[in-house]
Amino acid sequence: MNDLLNPFAVVTYPTAVQFSLYAGASIARFDPSGRYVAAGRPDGAATVWDLDTRASIRWLEGHVKGITSVDWSRNSRFLLTASKDWNVIIWDLAALADPPDRRTTIRFDAPVLSASFHPRNRQARIVLVLLGTGEVYIIDLRRHARARSRVELVEDDNAEVEDATGRQSAMTVAQFDPSGKYVFVGTSAGTVLVFHTRTKILVGRHRVPGAGAMKSFDFTRNGRSLVTNSVDRTIRQFMLPASYPSPPSSTFSQTPNPQRSPSPSRNASPQQTDGHDQTPAVNGVNGMHEDGDVTMSQVLENELEPTQRFNDPISRTAWHTMSYSPDGQLLAGGAADPAAHKIFIWDISHDGQFVTALDGGREPLLDVHWHPMKSAIASTAKDGNVLIWHYPTPERWGAFAGGFEEVDENVVYEEREDEFDLEDESALALRKKELEDDHVDIINGDDNLPADGSGLLNGSPCAMGPGEGPEEDYDWADVDNEEDCTPWRMKVLMVDDDDAY
Amino acid sequence: MSISTLKFSPNGSMLASAAADKLIKLWDAYTGEIIQTLSGHAEGINDIAWSADGEYLASASDDKSIILWSMDLFERVNTLEGHTNFVFCLNYNPRSNLLVSGGYDETVRIWDVARGKSLRVLPAHSDPVTAVSFNHDGTLIVSCAMDGLIRIWDAETGQCLKTLVDDDNPICSHVKFAPNSRFVLAGTQDSTLRLWNCQSSRCVKTYTGHSNRTYCLTACFSVTKGHYIISGSEDAKIFIWDLQTRDVIQVLEGHRDVVLAVATHPNQNIIASSSMEKDLTIRLWVDE
Repeated sequence: MNDLLNPFAVVTYPTAVQFSLYAGASIARFDPSGRYVAAGRPDGAATVWDLDTRASIRWLEGHVKGITSVDWSRNSRFLLTASKDWNVIIWDLAALADPPDRRTTIRFDAPVLSASFHPRNRQARIVLVLLGTGEVYIIDLRRHARARSRVELVEDDNAEVEDATGRQSAMTVAQFDPSGKYVFVGTSAGTVLVFHTRTKILVGRHRVPGAGAMKSFDFTRNGRSLVTNSVDRTIRQFMLPASYPSPPSSTFSQTPNPQRSPSPSRNASPQQTDGHDQTPAVNGVNGMHEDGDVTMSQVLENELEPTQRFNDPISRTAWHTMSYSPDGQLLAGGAADPAAHKIFIWDISHDGQFVTALDGGREPLLDVHWHPMKSAIASTAKDGNVLIWHYPTPERWGAFAGGFEEVDENVVYEEREDEFDLEDESALALRKKELEDDHVDIINGDDNLPADGSGLLNGSPCAMGPGEGPEEDYDWADVDNEEDCTPWRMKVLMVDDDDAY
Repeated sequence: MSISTLKFSPNGSMLASAAADKLIKLWDAYTGEIIQTLSGHAEGINDIAWSADGEYLASASDDKSIILWSMDLFERVNTLEGHTNFVFCLNYNPRSNLLVSGGYDETVRIWDVARGKSLRVLPAHSDPVTAVSFNHDGTLIVSCAMDGLIRIWDAETGQCLKTLVDDDNPICSHVKFAPNSRFVLAGTQDSTLRLWNCQSSRCVKTYTGHSNRTYCLTACFSVTKGHYIISGSEDAKIFIWDLQTRDVIQVLEGHRDVVLAVATHPNQNIIASSSMEKDLTIRLWVDE
C-alpha cells in the first residue's frame, strides 16, 4: 500500500539535510520504529524527539555528567542512558508523565563508556555495559536470574593477550551482535573477542593485524558482517564466521586439549564489585552459570581478513562512528574532521565503492546513525544540533491531475484498433458491473502492520533475527518476556507554552 | 439547524455529537444518557474527532478555529487558529500527535497537537475541503473537496501523490480510507458512493440507491459483523449495502429529515445516526 510513497526510490542514501533538531546533543539514536530520536546531552540530560512534529516530547533528567550512550529497547518503550557519572538509567516511556519514570538505575564504580540492551529480550532487562576501566559486564535484571556478570578472559587466555608492557589489554568496545547470542568485545590490542552471551564463555578470538585499539563496531542487521573502527583511522569490514563453537549447553563437557582455553564466566570479584545500588548484583549468585570451573569450550581463533577497508585517502581523517543502512548495502562513516561535518557513504554491494561525502557544514561531527527503515541519517554536530538527512523527492506536479501520467520523454501515442469504437451502452454497463464483482479486501494489509492501526502502538513486531542456531539462546533471552509484549502508547502531552523546552 | 456529526469514542463507551448550536454533547453509547455538554465555540461546529486513546476530542467550527478538549476534565486545553475561513473537517493520525483539518479556505492543514501549532499548510484544493483523514499507519492523508477531486498526500512531506477523479467530477461530500488503507470510500453528490483502489486509481465498487444531491453526508464501513457500507440519505433513510455485492440489503427508516451523519460502533453492531431541521434527534440502531 505504501508503494504510493516514493515510487522512485532508486536513490537509497540521503543527500540533503531535511531539518535539524536543536537538541544540545552529543549522541542521537533513532528508535526501532523510526518515529523518534533519542538525544543524549553532555550536561547529563537526554531528550526524546518526535520526528513527525520535530519537537522534543520528553526530557529525561537523571545524570549529572555527560551521556555517553543511549539505546532503545526493541519495542521502543524503554530508553537506556549511560553516563560518565557511573550510572546507567532505564526509562519507561509508557509513563504518563514527563519526565517519565525511571525503571532502573544501575550504578558502577567507574564512568560508563557505553551500554546497550540485549537485542532480543523484549523486556529490556539484559544490559551490556562497558566501563572506563576497560571492563565489560552483562547485567541481568530479570527476576529469576538477577546477576551482574563480568565478561572477561581467564588467566590462561590472558597470556596471549598481554601487550608488550605485560598488562592485560583493556576492553574498549562491547556490543551485542544483532541476534544477541554473542557479545563482541574490542580490545586496546586490536583484537575482537567473541563471548557467548548466555554462558559468558569466550568462543572466538580474532586478531586484526595493524588495527590498533578498537573504537567502535557496527553490524549488518543479519549479523553476518561486522565493521570495526580503530585507531589506525581505517574502517574494516569483516564477514563473520557462520558459527562459533557452541558452548556446553548444560553443565559439563570436556575438551582434551588444554590449549583450548577454558573460559568460565565469572562474577566480578569483590574488589571489582560495584556499589549495588538498586541492582541485585550479589556476588556469587550468578544466575546462569555457577559451575564455571568445569565447563570447557572451544575457542575459534583466527586472524580475520577484512573484506573491505575504508579510509579517507586524502586527509586521512579518523572516524567517530559508522552505521550500516537498513539493508546492509551501504555504510555511512562519520569523519572526525575538526573543521567539517562530513559523512562518507560507501556502497558495500559494489565492492565498497565510495559513493558520496555528505557535507553538513563546518560544525564538527560527533555521531552518525542510520534510520532503521528509510534512507535517512541522523548526524550530531559539536554544537549540539542533530541533523536529519533525507533524500528529497522532487515535486510531482502530475499527481495533481487525475488520470495523467508524467513522462520524461515524448511518447508517440498508438491508438488501439477499437479504442474509439462506439460500444453498446448496456454491454458497457454490464462489463463494468462484472468488473465490480471482483472481491475486495478492506481489512487485511500486505504489510506487517495490523490493519486496525494497533501496529502503531509500539511493540507488536515480535519475530526477529535469524532463526538458525541453538534456540536455547533465544529461549534464554525470551524468558520473563511476558510483561511487555503488550502494546503501549507514547501519550501525547500537551505543552502550555513554547518555552517549556 | 442540524446535528452535523457523530463519533463513537475509540473504546465505544461514548458517542459525541456536535451541532450548529455551537455545542458538543457526549452521550453514553449504550443507554443514550447525556454525560456532558461542552461549550466554547463561537459558531456552529462542523466536525469532531477523538484521539486514538480517547483522552482528547477535537472540534472544527465555523468560527475558523479548532478546539482541543480534554476528556478527563471536560474542558478546553488548546485552540488552534490559522484557518482563514470555516473549518469543515478534521481527523487525528493514529498516534494522535498530529491533527489534519480542512475548510472553506481550501487548504488542508497539519497541526502539532501538543503545541497547538500549524506544521504545514497544503494548498490542496480549489474549493472548500469537505473531508480529510489519515490512513491506518499515519503515512498518507486523503482529502476531498467541492472541486470533485480526491487527493492522496504523503503525510510526512506534504507532497501530493495522486489525484482520483471521475469523468464528470461531482462535488465530493466525504472520503475515508478503508481499514487497511488500500481503498478509499468516497461519497459524491450524484447520489453515489465509490470505493477506489488507491494503487491502481480505479473505482472498484459503486454503491447507489440513496439520495445525495445537496449536503455533505458521511458514509462509513461497518466491519463488526460482516462487511457493509453505511450512509445516510436525503430522503430521511439510512442505507446499508453489502460491501462485495453492492446490493442494498437494508434501509433503516425512522428519521423525518435528511440523515446527515452516521457512525458505526468500534466493536458492537450499533449504528448511530442524526438528522437535521425538522428532526433534531440522534438514533442508535442495534442489530439483534
